[in-house]
Amino acid sequence: MSPALRTKLGFNRGGITVFRSGLFDALAMMRLIKVILVLLLVAGLPAAVWGAQEAVLSEAHTDPVAHVEDHKAEHVLPAHAVELWRPFGFPITNSMLVTWIVAVGLIVFAQIATRRMQDVPSGLQNFWEWLVEGLYSFLEGIIGQDLVKKTFWFFATIFIFILFANWVGLIPGVGTIGYKGPDGHIAAPWFRGANADLNMTLAMAMVFFLCWTIWALQSNGPIGFLKHLFAPKGETTGLLKLLMIVVFLAVGVLEVISILFRPVSLSFRLYGNIFAGENMLEAMARLVPGWLGSILIPIPFYFMELLVGLVQALVFMLLTAVFTMLICQHDEEHAGAHH
Amino acid sequence: MNHVMFAGIIGDTARAFGVDWPHFIAQVISFSIVALLLHRFAYKPVLAALEDRRQRIAEGLENAEKIKAELKRTEQARQEVLNEANAQANRLIEEARAAAARVREQETQKAIAAAEQIVAKAREAAAADQARMLSDLKREIGRLVVQTTATVTGKVLTPEDQKRLAEEASRQVA
Repeated sequence: MSPALRTKLGFNRGGITVFRSGLFDALAMMRLIKVILVLLLVAGLPAAVWGAQEAVLSEAHTDPVAHVEDHKAEHVLPAHAVELWRPFGFPITNSMLVTWIVAVGLIVFAQIATRRMQDVPSGLQNFWEWLVEGLYSFLEGIIGQDLVKKTFWFFATIFIFILFANWVGLIPGVGTIGYKGPDGHIAAPWFRGANADLNMTLAMAMVFFLCWTIWALQSNGPIGFLKHLFAPKGETTGLLKLLMIVVFLAVGVLEVISILFRPVSLSFRLYGNIFAGENMLEAMARLVPGWLGSILIPIPFYFMELLVGLVQALVFMLLTAVFTMLICQHDEEHAGAHH
Repeated sequence: MNHVMFAGIIGDTARAFGVDWPHFIAQVISFSIVALLLHRFAYKPVLAALEDRRQRIAEGLENAEKIKAELKRTEQARQEVLNEANAQANRLIEEARAAAARVREQETQKAIAAAEQIVAKAREAAAADQARMLSDLKREIGRLVVQTTATVTGKVLTPEDQKRLAEEASRQVA
């Protein structure tokens, strides 16, 4: 258990459980409960989505009509984005194109919303202020007042960009408009859901990893950072202290492995959910032959994908925020425990 | 051996999902630019405006508190002035009342004195009148006694007789 979490849960040094009284504790506990609840909620949803998808896919495979369709359309969504151009050696893929469309759309929207700022906001300004301010307060509740000032730009981008990229990926035409291949199928779609590209999600995860390292070093210093990972926590003496040093060194190694694995889990979680969602929508569209079936059947799943898009944006942001909080608030919490 | 196998798995996975250095680096650059642009053009104006509004609201609330305190102070001062004015007015009324009572008393005394004076004068005048009437009466009675005596006796009285008779009569009247 990390020291920040120990302090939050009320374990003091030496392992004796003492719930510190006062407003700060109550707030910290509420913050933690909120995060745990949201994570529990969102952790259950992907399972449900995968379950539904597997059920539908297995059904599709047992359906004789679907077998015929399968043979005709063995075509499945490619697992990776397709490169459209390479100006000056810089590869531009169809998912990157959607990334830029979403970014430009968000910037234009924000600029229009904030062009004439009113003291009593209304319309677009009201919506944009609600989104940004709501997100700011939400993050402030989780990672604290000081850290949110420094990191808001990143977490806001993570949430808002992932959310709208996921939703834009659901617009009909993304993945279906493009250059036709010799077999008559779309070989190189012009647009692909931005997060249905592992390069993109891995890029976000690695940028976070870099930022996380910088923020961790800024808050703890290099020595503090290493101490946070490997140093024994709690006050012990004698042989027990020696034992603790060995135990915490081992825990630190595990912690480092878990930290190094974070970019992988973050990127595959988002990519998997979004790519699976696109596959599911395609499978639903092909489930019943005829244009009516291909339009009507996916509709309920579109609503689910809207939810998955929101939940995945929230999960990515919450996890990155919590990882940042755990490494950065160490000193502060520790100092707080001393008082 | 394990390292080679591990690297092979990573390589296979990366190839399966289309992850390679050029695309990955391109996406890192792309995402970094997107994040910076969103920060500069999408959040910064709103955050600045929100901060500005927060400060103005805080200032407004502070001013409202100040105005409230000022109002309270003014109200207190007004009440004090009012109380003072009230007390002063009461004092003035009391003073006026006392002055009026004093004046009334003085006037009453003056009136009494004047009345007494008038009465005395009247008395004096009455006494003088009475004395004059008495002397007139005496003179008249004397004359009548002399006239009557002369008529009864049928003699002419000398001036001495007349004087004696008159004096006698007046002595008897007195």
